[in-house]
Amino acid sequence: MSTHHHHAKDFLFTYIFSTDHKMISKQFLVTGFLMGFLGLIMSTLFRLQLGWPGESFEMIEMLMGSWQEGGVMSPDKYLALVTMHGTIMVFFLLTAGLSGTFSNLLIPLQIGARDMASGFLNMLSYWFFFISCMLMLASLFVEGGAASAGWTIYPPLSALPEAIPGSGAGMTLWLVSMSIFIVSSLLGSLNYIVTIFNLRTKGMSMTRLPLTIWAFLLTAILGVLSFPVLLAAALLLVFDRSFGTSFYLSDIYIGGQVLDHTGGSPILFEHLFWFLGHPEVYIVLLPALGITSEIISTMSRKPIFGYRAMIGSMMAIAFLSFIVWGHHMFLTGMNPFLGSVFTFTTLLIAIPSAVKVFNYLTTLWKGNIVFTPATMFSVGLVSTFISGGVTGLILGNSALDINVHDTYFVVGHFHIVMGLSAIFGMFAGVYHWFPKLFGRMMNNKLGNIHFWITIVCAYGVFFPMHFLGFAGVPRRYYTNSEFPMFNEMIDINVFISICAIIALVGQLVFFFNFVYSAFRGPRAPQNPWKGNTLEWTAPVEHFHGNWYGEIPAVYRWPYDYSKVNAAGEYVYGEDYIPQTTPLGDDEKDGGEH
Amino acid sequence: MTTVTVENINYKEEIRRKTSKPLMWMGIVSIIMFFGGLTSAVIVSQGGGSFLSIEMPFSFTISTFVIILSSLAFHVGLISINKGSYTIAKISVLITLLLGCLFVVTQYMGWVALYESGVYATGNQSTQESSFIYLLTALHVVHLIGGLVSLIVVLVKTMKQKYSLDNSLGMQVSITYWHFLGGLWIFLFFFLRYTIA
Ligand code: HEM
Ligand SMILES: [Cu+2]
Repeated sequence: MSTHHHHAKDFLFTYIFSTDHKMISKQFLVTGFLMGFLGLIMSTLFRLQLGWPGESFEMIEMLMGSWQEGGVMSPDKYLALVTMHGTIMVFFLLTAGLSGTFSNLLIPLQIGARDMASGFLNMLSYWFFFISCMLMLASLFVEGGAASAGWTIYPPLSALPEAIPGSGAGMTLWLVSMSIFIVSSLLGSLNYIVTIFNLRTKGMSMTRLPLTIWAFLLTAILGVLSFPVLLAAALLLVFDRSFGTSFYLSDIYIGGQVLDHTGGSPILFEHLFWFLGHPEVYIVLLPALGITSEIISTMSRKPIFGYRAMIGSMMAIAFLSFIVWGHHMFLTGMNPFLGSVFTFTTLLIAIPSAVKVFNYLTTLWKGNIVFTPATMFSVGLVSTFISGGVTGLILGNSALDINVHDTYFVVGHFHIVMGLSAIFGMFAGVYHWFPKLFGRMMNNKLGNIHFWITIVCAYGVFFPMHFLGFAGVPRRYYTNSEFPMFNEMIDINVFISICAIIALVGQLVFFFNFVYSAFRGPRAPQNPWKGNTLEWTAPVEHFHGNWYGEIPAVYRWPYDYSKVNAAGEYVYGEDYIPQTTPLGDDEKDGGEH
Repeated sequence: MTTVTVENINYKEEIRRKTSKPLMWMGIVSIIMFFGGLTSAVIVSQGGGSFLSIEMPFSFTISTFVIILSSLAFHVGLISINKGSYTIAKISVLITLLLGCLFVVTQYMGWVALYESGVYATGNQSTQESSFIYLLTALHVVHLIGGLVSLIVVLVKTMKQKYSLDNSLGMQVSITYWHFLGGLWIFLFFFLRYTIA
């Protein structure tokens, strides 16, 4: 009896209220993926409406009941689902899911620490995240439905409960959920930063850190600097909604009635929102770029090209991301001179981005590439980063943006550069570190099938959106069939929707592989990819503290792959030299130059 | 999965020692950004041009002195811990706590004074500037309540003589936060004077 009790308690603290960063990482991963899967299903549902407007899908009525009356999605539900889809993908999957998983897993393991700075805050961070997930999902079921003002929740739709059905209880829950989410994200970020600065093992100087860690560090710094501003914005919104202030509202009529609000301006909200919103896209992207750097170097068995340039370009991107937010607001009547300033800063980001792409390609160049699903997804990221980045140059230019603002061109752009890149980085990370997470290997064949379905369908979905956008098709519209010139383009929409459905099916391959391998996959060796970084020196089994005995010390940067001596032989007989190998007399540390 | 413990290594204590203060500092950075967002909102709104000016209640000036004194008292407390004189330490922390409460009272008096002079936080007689003045001061008080809670903990630990010259980390973290709250108030005080009041 008493042992049973003890077991229950063990279970509770090992799997549920764990303070161990590895378990918390898995919690974030599973929760994030489940949320992402829901977000994906939502997108497929509204793609049905966009591809075949007004057509009845009775099968779905069976599942969705009154949401899909007669098999046709209602306009209200369409807006709600678009909003929830965007919110879930950006915040829950790609902010919390991505950073929460890999910062938690890799920071202590790669810098040589026994755990995060505060295991307790780390646990709180996960549970706040979990609560905010539940509240966000619950908002689908309240009267009036979920928030419907878009993931950017611009007032007045978000500020006036009576504006549209989704402006009521659903919007309130959105705000509560996001406030809790922000707290979760801040607790995580504080921990990541402090851990990286204070708990590195002996010899682990900043220029010996793997690029993953640099990416997580900069991501966390962006989070600490930008999420509080979103909290401030949300707070003012709550006051406008519920307590009769007028920060964002002025001169509004609803149903012929003048409202009391005077003096405020929704543009204030846009400033505050995008001060977070733009750094947010890098919060989503940087971890993926870090993961890719690590995987591309390891898998092409070559040192990363331009280690310092990689760090420098990430710093430049992080810094610039705070002075470009105006590019989302070119059409708010902004002073054209100010617009040109924002154009200038935005286009500057192209420089560090190009540096990164160049370095990825040069690292791969003539490498002895090992093709795993992780490699494929990393290369996929490089591809989407380029093809999505190029359209950013158009959107960042105030004169050009006027033509495509709020059209499907924007939807195509941000899905490719942010959505796909980040999700590819996340998949790459899962395939690569799965042995570290679960002590087992994933199936490569299924992984490759998953990759090819995903990249082909993803381009199939998002590339044609640029053409819709050039033709002027607005985003967030329930149907375009009322407009003859848009209705002509219905074939493109059908094509996109078919690709979206296949993409959804393709993800089932991944989910099967993930779940099956976690329980039944072949057991992982300690260092399956012959990597140099510290996590591969830790035992496969998980326990609090990561290493038995002393934490290993570090003597070199992490990218000594295929290092040869003057005679052309591998320096230590292998094509990799772990960071724990002391430098030879005539060897130089790669991070120093 | 087997649970293995890392024996002979008390790493938790070491982690705590190395990271408590940096965690506090990062927390402070995020609070600064929070207020940074709000004060920028004041400035952006002011750009609209229709800002009225509001008379700053006198008790906010008293608040300023009270919070400066409380910071000094807390510092005396830390110095006496380092010197080993617990009696003075106890009294100092107690005074800090009382002054902290007095600060909240003077803030409340300030709000009453504002209200009496027809400056409302919300409703159709409120303006953006009147809402902001309440909001910013109230949010500062919300953060200050966190500081008061930590002061109570520090007070109890001082009474129990838990601190010493080389073991006063908790107190130092609390002091850092308290000084920050003082600084934040002084900033808000002058900010409000030059924008709204
Ligand atoms: C195959 C997967 C996906 C499909 C088919 C898809 C489809 C769409 C479509 C068609 C829209 C625009 C709807 C409209 O404007 O009416 C949309 C909006 C959006 N999606 Fe996705 N998406 C997918 C994955 C993702 C991912 C991975 C992200 C992560 C960044 C993402 C983030 C967003 C955001 C932020 C919006 C804007 C929501 C809004 O307008 O408020 N999506 N998605
Ligand atoms: Cu942006």
